[in-house]
Amino acid sequence: MTVESKLAPIRKGLLEFLVLRIVGVRSVYVPDILRRLAGTEFATQEGTLYPLLSKLRREDLVMYEWKESDAGPPRKYYRLTEAGRAQLASLDEYWSRINRTVADLGH
Amino acid sequence: MKRISVTVSLNRSTLQFDDAAYARLEQYLAESASLLEGDPDPTEILSDLEQAVADQCSRRLASGQSVVTLAELVPALEEIGSVQATEASAASEPSPRGAARPLQQVSEGAVVSGVCLGFARYFGLNVTALRIFAVLLLFVTGGGMILVYLALMLLMPYAPLEPGGRPLGWLPAKSRALVEYLRAKLSLATS
Repeated sequence: MTVESKLAPIRKGLLEFLVLRIVGVRSVYVPDILRRLAGTEFATQEGTLYPLLSKLRREDLVMYEWKESDAGPPRKYYRLTEAGRAQLASLDEYWSRINRTVADLGH
Repeated sequence: MKRISVTVSLNRSTLQFDDAAYARLEQYLAESASLLEGDPDPTEILSDLEQAVADQCSRRLASGQSVVTLAELVPALEEIGSVQATEASAASEPSPRGAARPLQQVSEGAVVSGVCLGFARYFGLNVTALRIFAVLLLFVTGGGMILVYLALMLLMPYAPLEPGGRPLGWLPAKSRALVEYLRAKLSLATS
């Protein structure tokens, strides 16, 4: 197993967490999210993001509203719901716990 | 006479495509639809994708150019990428109140044993409202509700604990341990 094939599922699993973090900062539309992730290990595409956002919306973690844009049709702006904010808080906390564990082990 | 372009309505945008680009677009959308099979809400994702295609193509059109060709569409689709179904949809998510999700007590986040949480999850109700209702019943029935609750606690199976999930509260953990102990005793006595 190459290193890359071990890293791919880790990135995949973390993408949802990162999208929640990005949406948690302020309300964004999909190109904003893509820009935020571009150039990181988590660079992704609309084909991945839309199904993920649809799932998060069904789970009542994010919601969207239509906003007029200067050019072109109205855009969907996503933001966190109360439940999304709560879940992000517990994910954040879990993430720092994991980080501490990883740092503590192997010494 | 020759047909030059097809007018395509993509979600909230309208664009002209030449025949080759139109065929490629149809193929992409059909592929996406089949990749989303099993997703509970493919329509929403497909119209989002249509909008993405429209945005990407119009951005790529040179000024004065009105018809989208493969020269714009192919890089646009490349940037959008093929649809990646989420794990939940790939594994065909059980509907919240379908038969796939049995009525079970839920220990994580429970107040007493998880009966209310289990009912709320099964029927898709607000758990706080349900708990308030249960407490009201407690008063209305003059404490008889306690017996109902205890019976449900004994009878309703427990949902499996989430692996790596949050730790249980003191009371839910004790209730679960007690019920499991009692069930073991009862099945010994009956067998």
